[in-house]
Order: sequence, then C-alpha cells, then structure tokens
Amino acid sequence: MLSQRIAQQTLRRLALQNPAARFVAPAALASRNALVNQRRLAATTSSMQENQPNTEILAKQRLARPVSPHLSIYRPQITWYGSIINRITGSLMSGTFYLFGAAYLAAPVFGWHLETATIAAAFASWPVILQFLTKVVFGWQFTYHTFNGVRHLMWDTASGITNKAVNQTGWFVMGLSTVSAVALALL
Amino acid sequence: MASSTLLPVLRSALAARTLTTPAFSAPSTLLRQSPLFLQRSAFQTSAKRAILPPLSQSIKGTVNDAATVPEAEYTHGSYHWTMERLVSAALVPMTVAPFAAGSLNPVLDGAFIGFIIIHSYIGFQSCITDYFPKWRVPKWRKALDWMNFLAVGLVGWGWYEFETNDVGLTEGVRRIWKAGSQVDKVVA
Repeated sequence: MLSQRIAQQTLRRLALQNPAARFVAPAALASRNALVNQRRLAATTSSMQENQPNTEILAKQRLARPVSPHLSIYRPQITWYGSIINRITGSLMSGTFYLFGAAYLAAPVFGWHLETATIAAAFASWPVILQFLTKVVFGWQFTYHTFNGVRHLMWDTASGITNKAVNQTGWFVMGLSTVSAVALALL
Repeated sequence: MASSTLLPVLRSALAARTLTTPAFSAPSTLLRQSPLFLQRSAFQTSAKRAILPPLSQSIKGTVNDAATVPEAEYTHGSYHWTMERLVSAALVPMTVAPFAAGSLNPVLDGAFIGFIIIHSYIGFQSCITDYFPKWRVPKWRKALDWMNFLAVGLVGWGWYEFETNDVGLTEGVRRIWKAGSQVDKVVA
C-alpha cells in the first residue's frame, strides 16, 4: 500500500514537471526512453550567414537564373484588366488635374493662357469629329472609373464577390461606361 | 577504400567522354547561324526577356531569425481604409449634383476640388507603394512620397487661383464640353 502511494506521488510529481508524463504508461516512465529532457551541451551554429563566403557563389548564381514569364503569359481576364484599367483611368485623370493645377500657377511666368475662355475657344475650333472623339475618350475615363469605383464600394459591403458576379459586374461596367461616355459626348 | 578511388576515376572518364564526343554539336553550329542567338542552350528556344529580373539576393541575419511583424498603426491601417472609402463614396454625388442641378456654388465647387485632391493623393499613394517598394528603390520611394505630399499643397493652391480668377471646375468643364455646339455663346 505504502509503495503504491509512493509510486503514485512520484508519478504526480513527474506529471507536474512534465505534463506529458500524464499520458505515458507508468512502466514506460520507469525506463529511460520516454520523455527524455534534451540537454544540448553544444550550441549549433548556422552555416547560412550573410558574411560567410560559401553563400556568395549561390547569390551570384541566382542572378543568372532565368525568370519565368509572368506578365507576358497571364491570360487576359476581366478581373485584372478591369483593375489595371481602373488604376490607369484614375491616374490619367488625376495626373491631368494635377498638371493643370500646377500649370495654371506657372502660366503667368511662361505667358500661357489657360483660362476657360481660351481653352473653350481653342476646342471649338477643332474639327467636330475630333471634338467628339476627345469627349468620348475623356468621358470614358471618367465614366469607367466612376462605375468601377461603385463596383469596388459594392465589394466592400461583401456583396458580389463570387467569381461569376465579378465577371458579370465587370462586363456590365465596361458596357455601361462606354454607352454613357458616348451619351455624354453627344450632349 | 575501393569506392573512394573508384568515384574520381568514373568522374574523369565521364568528363573525357563528353569532351571528345559532344552530344549536341550540330545544334550549336546552327545556334551561331540562327537569328535566335539569344538562346542560352540547345534546349531553350524562346529569347531571354527578363521583366523585373531578380536582384542580388542577400540573407539578412540568420536563417533562424523570426519574421518581423510591423507595428500596428491604425492611421495607416483600418482608419486609412475607412477614410478612402468615405471620400470615394462622397465623390459620387458631388460629381453628379452640380452638373445635374446646373447651379454655380463656389463653396461646393471648392469642396469638390478638395475631395478630388484627397482622393488623388490616396490613389497615387497606392501606386507609389505598389511600384516602388522600399527594399528595391528606397530613395525613389521616399522622394515620390514627399512629392505626392507636396503636390497636394501646390495643386490645391493652383486650383484655388483657378476658382478665384476663373469660373471654377464644374462650370469650366461644362463650358469646354459645350464649346463646339455653342460657338457664338462662349462668354469671356
């Protein structure tokens, strides 16, 4: 009885030291194979450090490796085409806006005339078809970016985020922006 | 040991074999004559066109270092995201209203210009972050970030002058848009 009690207490103490001891058969604990606490008496050193010479050849060799084609082979899809067109239209419009703002400040220095009256008169003197095409192109930047922006905001409400919905809304936005750009140009 | 002497012998024998009897002699002469001189070897047929080639790689620290987790900054995280969406959403009615209503209000026009500038700043920030990573072009990144920031002030000033001295953004766009059809009605 006493020996059993002593054994039990020993096991409990072992279990406290090493919680895994609770799940090992007591007989196994008695042997020296279960739950051996590893004590590393020598520290391991890493052989992959920056300043060691054996990595230089490897680094140089990596530079000579060929690059798998990525942008040149990715299949055109409405997802990423739509996304980059959104970025391009936004950048073009903002770029024009920024350039005009800065140019308007610099105009007196260089003798430019950037008043609306001058620009409107110059634009009116263009051939009509060129006026129409310019309006379609600029209008399309605006309408596509606006409608795709609304699509982005729709996604932010976590709606229409399935593959099918993304494809459908993407093409819908393309069509709608073209139609509205032409409509605006005809105003 | 026998195996240790056998291996170098085998290796030199193989080397001798490839030197005296090259397996791909015919394609190599064709290589020099063919226009595809960019071929690196007989097996590769497409030209080497490295878009964004790999840079010189270096190991920072040791391979046992844990990945660094950046400090959480709400102004560059979720608050930025929220502001971006709020500004974008606000721009939609602000664009349509003045053209639809046909009225001219400099305060509304000025607010519209301000929102466009904020929206453009956020948009350009995304482009700069995407195409000029710090690990590749740190100086360009810093320069562009600062130019983006200073452009807000410069462009804001320029459009303020335009708003003051001229008719404003919405009225200007309307006049230029309708310039062709109203040649005699263009007012100075």
